[in-house]
Amino acid sequence: MRKSRSLLALCLLPACLSHSFSGETFNEELTIRGLPDGRVASRFEFSTFLHGATPRNPPKSHYTLFPLALGQILREYAVTELHLTLNAGKWDYDRWGYPEEPDVATGASLWAWMAEGSAAAHGPTGRHSVDARWRDLRNALAGLFCASIASLDEQRTTSPARAFTPLGALPAWPQSPPHAFRHASLPSENVCTENLTPFLKLLPCKSRSGLAHLLNPHRLFDADWHGMGLHVSWRPEDGVQVRLTFQSVSDPLRTETTRDWSLSSLFDRTIDRACPVAALSRVVVTLPIREPYSIHPEPSSNANGRGIFDLAGQPLPLDISMHWLEPFQHATIPAGQAPLSVRRMLRGSAQDHGALAVSIANADPSPVRVVYLETLPWIVHLYLHTLELTVDGVPRADLLEDISYIAPVPHGRAATLEAVLTIPARSTVSLRFGVGRAFLRYTEHPPDAQRGSELPGAVVVLLPSDSGNKTQGAGRWVSNNKGALQWAQTQGQERQQQRRIYTPALLVDPATPDFSMPYNVIIFTCSLVAFIFGSVFNGLTRRFAVLKVPPVDG
Amino acid sequence: MKASLDLGIVFPVLVAGRLLLALTNLPDALKHDHQLSSPLTSYLNLQEGIYLFKNGIDPYSGGVFRHSPLFLALFTTVLPTSRTISSIIWTLCDAVGAWALVQIWRARQRVAQSSRDGLIAAAYLLNPYLFLSTLSLSTSPFENMLALLSFMFAAQGSASPSLLAAALLLHLSLSSILLLAPLVLLLASSPVSQLASPRSFSGNSQKIKPLLAEFLAYTAILTVASTLVSGGWAWVPQTWGASLTLPDLTPNCGLWWYFFTEMFDHFRPFFLMVFSIHLLIYTAPICIKFQYDPLYAAFILLGILGTFKSYPTMADPGLFLSMIAVFPEIYPYLRYPIVTTLLHLHAALLMPLFHHLWLNQGTANANFFYASTLVFACANGAALTDCIWAGLRIAIGEPQEGFVVVQE
Repeated sequence: MRKSRSLLALCLLPACLSHSFSGETFNEELTIRGLPDGRVASRFEFSTFLHGATPRNPPKSHYTLFPLALGQILREYAVTELHLTLNAGKWDYDRWGYPEEPDVATGASLWAWMAEGSAAAHGPTGRHSVDARWRDLRNALAGLFCASIASLDEQRTTSPARAFTPLGALPAWPQSPPHAFRHASLPSENVCTENLTPFLKLLPCKSRSGLAHLLNPHRLFDADWHGMGLHVSWRPEDGVQVRLTFQSVSDPLRTETTRDWSLSSLFDRTIDRACPVAALSRVVVTLPIREPYSIHPEPSSNANGRGIFDLAGQPLPLDISMHWLEPFQHATIPAGQAPLSVRRMLRGSAQDHGALAVSIANADPSPVRVVYLETLPWIVHLYLHTLELTVDGVPRADLLEDISYIAPVPHGRAATLEAVLTIPARSTVSLRFGVGRAFLRYTEHPPDAQRGSELPGAVVVLLPSDSGNKTQGAGRWVSNNKGALQWAQTQGQERQQQRRIYTPALLVDPATPDFSMPYNVIIFTCSLVAFIFGSVFNGLTRRFAVLKVPPVDG
Repeated sequence: MKASLDLGIVFPVLVAGRLLLALTNLPDALKHDHQLSSPLTSYLNLQEGIYLFKNGIDPYSGGVFRHSPLFLALFTTVLPTSRTISSIIWTLCDAVGAWALVQIWRARQRVAQSSRDGLIAAAYLLNPYLFLSTLSLSTSPFENMLALLSFMFAAQGSASPSLLAAALLLHLSLSSILLLAPLVLLLASSPVSQLASPRSFSGNSQKIKPLLAEFLAYTAILTVASTLVSGGWAWVPQTWGASLTLPDLTPNCGLWWYFFTEMFDHFRPFFLMVFSIHLLIYTAPICIKFQYDPLYAAFILLGILGTFKSYPTMADPGLFLSMIAVFPEIYPYLRYPIVTTLLHLHAALLMPLFHHLWLNQGTANANFFYASTLVFACANGAALTDCIWAGLRIAIGEPQEGFVVVQE
């Protein structure tokens, strides 16, 4: 016992020194929130700051806390801002509300801002061009995260202009064109343990201590929804920030009859040790409002209906447990958990054409303006002229404005449709496009072609109803330890960030050829062509002759 | 007098009947049909291109719109694009085509009118391949009309309209370049049937060079006009290039789509070249063999196009089949017209059936439809080789008792 205590003291010693890691700060936070349907949403957030660094000219190549593998990638490909999310399942906005981490697109999504190489000599196709670096970045991240990000190729890359805005700032370099944006998503990507392991390796304490110790793959990948994210951004006053997030939705009601949870029931682990290099390490629990409950241990502070457990002031091991005094009633969940309810489906049974139907319902008493983004791989193309826009059955073409459309190129480029859509108060807007489906070469079909392939979900971005009067929020940005404290205080306040709603992926089954008979088809067709050619050739080259037939005796 | 009455009654009645059908809901049911409209001629794609063009997006920047910029110019300025008006325009196209076919027949027979006029008009207007293509609002009827108009003007001896129609046709469909050689020969000689008396080319070969120059001039003017309309050269790879590189593998009644769906990637360019050149190699031998009757050479080349072109629709073999009506002199020498008819019947019934089973019902696979397109190609090939045979065989005439006609 004494030995372990002295060990703990040894571990805590560097914690006191953590402020001396000049230029680098590490914060970690776990947010736990009960959802209306009895599930529990938890979100881990690990932020590392590299103060004073700029995206292109990092001050050094030696890092103390900043993940080296990631730093090398960022430096090599001169990435200003980078986001990678790997999610599994469908985030149910209608039941769970808006997620803590907004980017919950199914599967893998990668988007980045990069500046064109300043040396004009490299040209748009050179090794340092945006597209070349984007390709190399995909390959590097695919290697780093053991994910199929490398298959986010040109056929899936798009550059929507409005739906995504940088979280940080984009430096304006002299003699350099503005930053280019690249986005790609792969909804069929499966997220599992092999992606979590490299994720943990990027943390300074790995999974041995601190909050990351709770990242137990057996429980996380058993959750109803789980997803991880990597967000790199830059601000001139702060430097480069790397934010690693893990979000999951677990269901205590799956095995128990009560919705009581504890860290040990959610993660099968407790927080045994604090991460000694973390400047800030805490657990935030959203407390129920109108229901009697008990929480153990008591939070060290309580603000805005959130109980905060600072690991520095808590006895360890820490196992927070929440107990509801009243049994859970499986009641209908009131609508309007999220600002909008979006449904999107592919209609039509034919394999050559169909329709894409989107309905967006606004329960609010005020109209909402959104950016609607549709990125479709070329295997499905929209017929924009067939677009029908109705509000509760009444045609309202005027609600759609600022349409920008990049048409798909077969075997080459995905389509991008981006438009600003106004959704009137308390009504449902229905969009309907006719779609055509492409026929693929037999080598272009994915394995298990009859299952089909996934189309990325649409993105609905809520535009602020009143622009400009709110102060530019700090977002996820903190500059130093003092800032970390300020950040902690503003946690309860609404974050000034683009709110995006992702629709689930759609499955499209392209018509398949017979994969077993390329030789047969080549032989059949060539034989027929040769046969007809031969007959024509025969007819054209041989001359007619009249022969006398000798009379047949008989 | 009676003959004239014949056409006077048949023609308006058929056109009116087709107009009535075109104004029903049939076009909506047929516009997705892959046999009737290819990606290069589909009405949906045309509307999409016009919509994008009107909204300031270059329709050639993507891969959906593959029609000629001339269509864009026509439909964004002169003609409205409502479905009813389109149906009327498309039917009128076929009416003009039928009228041109009758004029070709009259020029070939050197008569002002004949008793066959009504029959020939009916052969064009009642041909189900052409009829359904028009109902599906595919742009193939425009191609057929231009082909027939250019031959009509050539048969009547007016060179400039004929070459202009051919240049327009070339802009709608690159593979129709095959028809240029017989067209120029026809302009330099006469359309009168010479099948029974073969001899060397009797026309004025001095006229060929200026005619070709005129054709090139029209083509160049239209190319520049297309470039101006679409605001760049992007239309060239999207329209002409598509028929050579086959970027869209949507099934049709031709031989290319499944072949290049199943083709190994590293052999694709080679076979694209082979298939494209294969179309070209027929021109010279057929024009040389039928140098005494260029109209017949053109007819045979239409059959080649209907069988082997990259994005055929039913209207392409349909034009060839309807044109058989203009050459009644070969009928006694056809060897197996019944077999050809049955093959066509077989393919025409099976193709829509298997297409539906494959793509809509999901109970068949691509091989079923592919097999029926092979039968269709056999039917077209049979008609083609039989017509070549009959066109040559007619020169010998019926053998006397005790003699047979054989090929050397």
